[in-house]
Amino acid sequence: MQVWRADAKDQTLMKETTPSSWIRLGGRGLIAQILVDEVPPTCDPMGRHNKLILAPGLLVGHMLSSCDRISFGAKSPLTGGIKESNAGGSTGLQLTHLGIKALIIENAPQTSELFVLRLNADGGSFEPASDLIGQGAYHSAEKLRSRYGPKVAIALIGPGGEMRMLSAGIQNLDKDGVPSRIAARGGLGAVMAAKGLKAIVIDSLDGKKPEIKDEKAFKDAQKKLNKAIQDHPQTEVYADFGTAAMVAMCNGFGALPTRNFSDGYFEGAESVSGEAMRPIILAREGEGDTTHACMAGCTIQCSNVYAGNDGKTIVSPIEYETIGLMGSNLSIADLDTIARFNWQLNDLGIDSIEVGAALGVAADAGVWEFGDHEAIMKLLDEIRTGSPLGRVLGNGAVVTGRTFGVRRVPAVKGQAMSAYDPRAIKGTGVTYATSPQGADHTCGLTIRAKIDHLGVEGQVDTSLAGQIKTAGYDTLGVCAMATFGFSLTQESIGELLRARYGWDVSEDILTELGRKTIDLELAFNRSAGFSSNDDRIPEWMREEPLPPHNAVFDVPDTDLDSIFQT
Amino acid sequence: MDPAKIKISVQLHTILQIETPEGPEKIITVELPAGSSMNDLLSALNIQLTGDQILLVLNGRTAESGAILQDGDRVNLMPAISGG
Repeated sequence: MQVWRADAKDQTLMKETTPSSWIRLGGRGLIAQILVDEVPPTCDPMGRHNKLILAPGLLVGHMLSSCDRISFGAKSPLTGGIKESNAGGSTGLQLTHLGIKALIIENAPQTSELFVLRLNADGGSFEPASDLIGQGAYHSAEKLRSRYGPKVAIALIGPGGEMRMLSAGIQNLDKDGVPSRIAARGGLGAVMAAKGLKAIVIDSLDGKKPEIKDEKAFKDAQKKLNKAIQDHPQTEVYADFGTAAMVAMCNGFGALPTRNFSDGYFEGAESVSGEAMRPIILAREGEGDTTHACMAGCTIQCSNVYAGNDGKTIVSPIEYETIGLMGSNLSIADLDTIARFNWQLNDLGIDSIEVGAALGVAADAGVWEFGDHEAIMKLLDEIRTGSPLGRVLGNGAVVTGRTFGVRRVPAVKGQAMSAYDPRAIKGTGVTYATSPQGADHTCGLTIRAKIDHLGVEGQVDTSLAGQIKTAGYDTLGVCAMATFGFSLTQESIGELLRARYGWDVSEDILTELGRKTIDLELAFNRSAGFSSNDDRIPEWMREEPLPPHNAVFDVPDTDLDSIFQT
Repeated sequence: MDPAKIKISVQLHTILQIETPEGPEKIITVELPAGSSMNDLLSALNIQLTGDQILLVLNGRTAESGAILQDGDRVNLMPAISGG
């Protein structure tokens, strides 16, 4: 596997031998190592010294169930710190089939024009994208697929990225060619635009699967993993209800963000729950599908296709975080409406968490009234046209709060919280506060831990264990939805790595990878100017009680500061 | 009401919902002998999920399977999921 290095200024592409210290890393861990090695931590995220990195996880390339995720990374323009954001779809798989360990896009273009970076077995070329400028992700993906063929993988930005919005992500095609798999967090779409790219097209038709050192051992481990996933009841929950199953669960804990994080219980939760969504999709027939895979080979299939009354797709998929931030957080209790918002956000190429949080803050400021879905649609149009108000919202919750003088901003390190209020799920609050990535549930969600989520005890340890594991899984390219399968057959991680690479790895490889990744990320952030002062939940969440439990975030600062010191 | 009995309101999540001809039943009231535990409730409902496969939530807080239930308690039974 090689490192491919694209220069945005000269529009050239070089293939390099992978440095030895990078070989045993992938995904999030490799991104952290490359950023530490090559990017000055104090650089301007939008300038020539920052680098946009695409790195498939270590297990990517073989259609192992839920193990083909692609990590994107750079210094984040949203947080000012290290950033990795990953997605499903076909980007990771096809990069490995071209033998790419990491794609590094560096330097800065000489013009403001945007291009397509086309990769195939012969190498890479920069090609015009002038016909795609200002176009949404759906239309752009369609045009690119008709130009380059229906089998290519594509990573692309929408108008949000083009406008350098801090909520802009990078969209990826799912296995059906739909650009709905967004590496959403941290403004990486804005970095991609700053590198002069509208899209990266990956054509691996003449490529091949990465070599496997021991085919039989790999197949045996794969079988064991598949069985563990299939036998676990969680698979049935995800397949039937998707991540939307979390709505009733989080509401049951009193932790569902409601009206800009002013309540943890949403009276309309029932109508936007996974339990409500499934019969709606089934009854409407047509294109709707309750059980859909975003990656080829996935046995969980937690994704869905949500169709309207006419049986035609409104959006695919609807996920829990979008229901939380664009639904309950905005007092919207209707799935059709949330689905329409979701399509707009995907087309704009922006993060539904960041923008949902920004809209909640804006409602608190009186810009619009909670529950007014027409007002939200108009505000999404403002984002699309790039009006001053639209740009404020598109730059996320913190910018919106500062602009309108609102203190109730649910963010850490500049990044909006996901759909778990940290006052009622305090371990996840510890993750929000201390993760080098900023507030992000995917860095260590604790909701299923058997602890009292309202108490202080055990939260730091639970968060730490979750943070290390997820950093390990993100380095392997494993989807969060499959981690329960691996947790039942822990040894299969080592078995898969040994079989694929011939490496001698320990039984504790997941922890080793996770810890190394987080240590690298912490080192980058420290050099970028971060300190323990940045590892804080906002003060208002320590003082404003959250109904229904009237909880505040009360994990002591000293506990937060000790988390990575073991 | 019989003082030897307690009534518990139970919200059943996802695959635990009870299918009926009128549609899935999500919130049910269960009558149990006074002094019953969460485990007794799971047995009464014939729920097979154990250990980390299920989250037991009593009045909005995580509960142990041995937790003793009181009349009027609200229980959420959630097949555990780990991401969103």
